[in-house]
Amino acid sequence: MAAVAHEHVRLAQSLPRQLLHFFKRFPPPQLSPGAPPPRPQTVQVVSDTSSSNPNAGGATIEVPADDPSPTPLIQNAKWKRNPFLAHKNPTTGNWHAPHYSLRRQADLFRLAVEYNVLPLMPESPKHPEIKAAKRVEQGLRVKGTGEGQRVKGKYWERTLKSRLEVRRKAMEAMPDMIRTWKETGHGRGWKKYPRGRTLPDNRRKGRGVLEYA
Amino acid sequence: MAKKAKSRTISVRLLSMAMTGYYMTFTRPRQHRPLSMLKYDPVVKKKVLFLEQKRGGSK
Repeated sequence: MAAVAHEHVRLAQSLPRQLLHFFKRFPPPQLSPGAPPPRPQTVQVVSDTSSSNPNAGGATIEVPADDPSPTPLIQNAKWKRNPFLAHKNPTTGNWHAPHYSLRRQADLFRLAVEYNVLPLMPESPKHPEIKAAKRVEQGLRVKGTGEGQRVKGKYWERTLKSRLEVRRKAMEAMPDMIRTWKETGHGRGWKKYPRGRTLPDNRRKGRGVLEYA
Repeated sequence: MAKKAKSRTISVRLLSMAMTGYYMTFTRPRQHRPLSMLKYDPVVKKKVLFLEQKRGGSK
């Protein structure tokens, strides 16, 4: 027992100030003497941004199980075990922001990785494992290319295919048209002249899409 | 009051028959027949037929 305590003291002396302060305020349950490790409970945090859950990070986060006797003190302790997640007060229904901002969480995790104390850190959106899992799940996602999404595109992009098709057909008929035009005396007696078709009002820019009449 | 006299010449627009939307503007006598000529269309990078656009209507 004394050896374990000695080890903890040595660990504490080697840690930087920020991590030490964090572990003092929110002692990791693994280091508390005699306390059984908390039963992990899987909480599915959906990545729906419209959700009112501020913990929505698109990752499965394991948080300690609910205590059977929810007295205010225990609730507070439970929250303190997850100072990186927003907490919903079950009595009032109010959400309380995480004790540490995402920026400070990222700073702490960076230090935790550096000093090899990552297993002592609570779950957080900035946890490297959770971040890696999220990266695997989402991949290199480009907006609009996911399942059930589509890119609207600009007007010229949406109409490009049909316009190129019209152009291709016109170019196929061009040699015949030029031959006819030459045979009729370079325009003498030519009757079919094009009419510029005007665009809808919201697309009118002075130059209309042309229609051969 | 007398109406303003019409000008002798008009400017007309010659449209590329490659349906690229490319056009050129020329001036011709009002009484002349509609213009048509072979000209280079930079969109399709070829010499194509250009025909005068019909006047009137929404113009």
